[in-house]
Amino acid sequence: MFPNFRHTMAWLHTWFGLALGLVLMVVFFFGSLSVFDREIDRWAIPDTRYEPQPMPSFDKMLAPIFKDMQPDAAARAMTAPLADGPLPDRFDTARSWGAYTTHRDPVLALFASYEVPNAKDHETAIWALRTVDPRTGDLLPVDRLKIGSEFFYPLHYSLTLDWKNVGYWIVGFSALMMLMALVTGVIMHRKIFRELFTFRPNKSTQRSMLDLHNLSGVVALPFHFFFAFTGLMIFAYIYFPVTHTQLTPLHDRHEVLESKETGLPHDRAGVAAPIASVDAMVAEAQRRWAAKGMAGDVGFLNLTHVGDANGYVSVYRAGTDRVQLAGEGIHFKASTGELLREDPPPTVVARINEFLTGLHLQHFKHWLLRWLYVLGGLSGAACIATGLFFFVEKRKRQHAKQGVSGARVVDALAVTVVTGMLVATLCMLIANRLLPDAMPAGWPLRGAMEKYLFWGSWLAAGAHAWWRTAAVAEGRLAPAWREQCLAIAVLAVAAPVLNWITTGDHLLRTVATGYWPVAGADLFMLASAALAMLAARKLQQRAARPLAVKNVTLEAGHA
Amino acid sequence: MTSITLTPRHIASRTAVAIFGGYAFTWGVVALGITLMYSAGLEFHDAEHLSYIIGFLVFLVAFLVAFAAQALRKAALVLVGGGALMSAAAWWVQGLIIGAGA
Repeated sequence: MFPNFRHTMAWLHTWFGLALGLVLMVVFFFGSLSVFDREIDRWAIPDTRYEPQPMPSFDKMLAPIFKDMQPDAAARAMTAPLADGPLPDRFDTARSWGAYTTHRDPVLALFASYEVPNAKDHETAIWALRTVDPRTGDLLPVDRLKIGSEFFYPLHYSLTLDWKNVGYWIVGFSALMMLMALVTGVIMHRKIFRELFTFRPNKSTQRSMLDLHNLSGVVALPFHFFFAFTGLMIFAYIYFPVTHTQLTPLHDRHEVLESKETGLPHDRAGVAAPIASVDAMVAEAQRRWAAKGMAGDVGFLNLTHVGDANGYVSVYRAGTDRVQLAGEGIHFKASTGELLREDPPPTVVARINEFLTGLHLQHFKHWLLRWLYVLGGLSGAACIATGLFFFVEKRKRQHAKQGVSGARVVDALAVTVVTGMLVATLCMLIANRLLPDAMPAGWPLRGAMEKYLFWGSWLAAGAHAWWRTAAVAEGRLAPAWREQCLAIAVLAVAAPVLNWITTGDHLLRTVATGYWPVAGADLFMLASAALAMLAARKLQQRAARPLAVKNVTLEAGHA
Repeated sequence: MTSITLTPRHIASRTAVAIFGGYAFTWGVVALGITLMYSAGLEFHDAEHLSYIIGFLVFLVAFLVAFAAQALRKAALVLVGGGALMSAAAWWVQGLIIGAGA
């Protein structure tokens, strides 16, 4: 694009980094929170504050629940356009029943998929989901939103824009641009090693922002590259659906061959058959794992072709003691309990893939590593944020002189995605504690209200950001930053206090009893409040200081 | 610092080539990678994963090349044309596999 290669790379870094940095900020921040998504669930649903449980009895507890499950209105609305004519009132042919639990999750997630008789594509399935208390078999009310695993986590990878998967595509492209920014960033900076040790906090804001941008980018470079890359790998089938479009014939051939080889039927037989004792199959699977020297708990239980003579039961071991995802599946014939197949050890490539995606998805039990993930994710957010600050600092005086509003627009967007996002997150948690237990008739469900309040408060923070960044147009520091930092400080104290008032689980109790899911969330918010307070004070000092610093000379690489 | 003026049109065409050309080229790499590795005896999903790993690295490089290349037309031709050629080859290999082992 430019005659000079380095110059082109710098241009790419600046402009694509700016455009997608706003999305990446959201992805990194909610990704960091998702490391503790189940713990946030506990904070948000106090009825589920108990210890994680082993997989309960299928025969006694789960089977009756599965038989009662049906898709809800939202699932029906999503599936309706995929069928010819209206959907049936009930779905009776269950393709699969699944139960999934983790070592961090006291509640058990159940999901069932059903055939849609009048679907345009015969592979279409409609899903029903429920959450169960494994101690009693009681169902969690449907209006309860698991804020961590059902909202912050999907925000991380799809921005919750599910229409045509558009959110996945935006996040995927942003991940590619993250890789691009890392590569071009390294090309721009020849003195990368020296920059690792350079931070001049007392120089101009512009200079120290650049130092911090380089520092956070370089220190965690392998982490950032790895996470952006493995994130793409996880949803590769969405971004490049090669084997479900161009190579469908090859894919289908493989499935038929595979089912012949494994003995696991690909289709229903069309003959009804009862289900033998699944508990006995689970016990047998556990005996076999123990015999292999890898005794373990069940993480995932799945029934395929439910109620059919071709039905089978798959029992997967919980993979919490390793980085790779759960595996070592053992499959039984559903009607007799006869062993059909034991999964062979994974191939080398499968092992690599499981390791890559497993490192990203982190089902393993290793608290120190989990916290390192949070720090790595937040350092990514810091790298992006300081990049945005640098962009504004570098241009604002010039733009003020020229009377253009570019720097102000970027600053307002930066306020919205950096502090505004925190304000929205905290408002959602506060709403979770303040909304009535059940919403009055005519209102949206409680969980939906929480989402609306999240988006509403983010919108309000954005409006405030626009209003209070007017100073940037005159080349000064925007008061929006300090004001939103103060808001964060207040909200991040209010949330733990409200948790105390509404549930009685104050920090003295949760720390004393070692109940870390809730204690950790409260402590994290209080620490955020302190940091936000500190930031607000620093910003005030900066604002009070006269504009003494002249434009410093920067490396030629920066466009 | 800027030695040539960047028109919005120029930026838009570069970006389009980088994104869509890069995508087409990567699609070709993934499709051909899967069929070739599968016919070389690799397990189907292994061929898929390995092709994706290579594919995303290729996309990254293609994206950068589309901006770094002096001649945009040539870059576009290589990316889109190469992608189409590789996809066509993948189709052909798929046909051979299906035809051979029914």
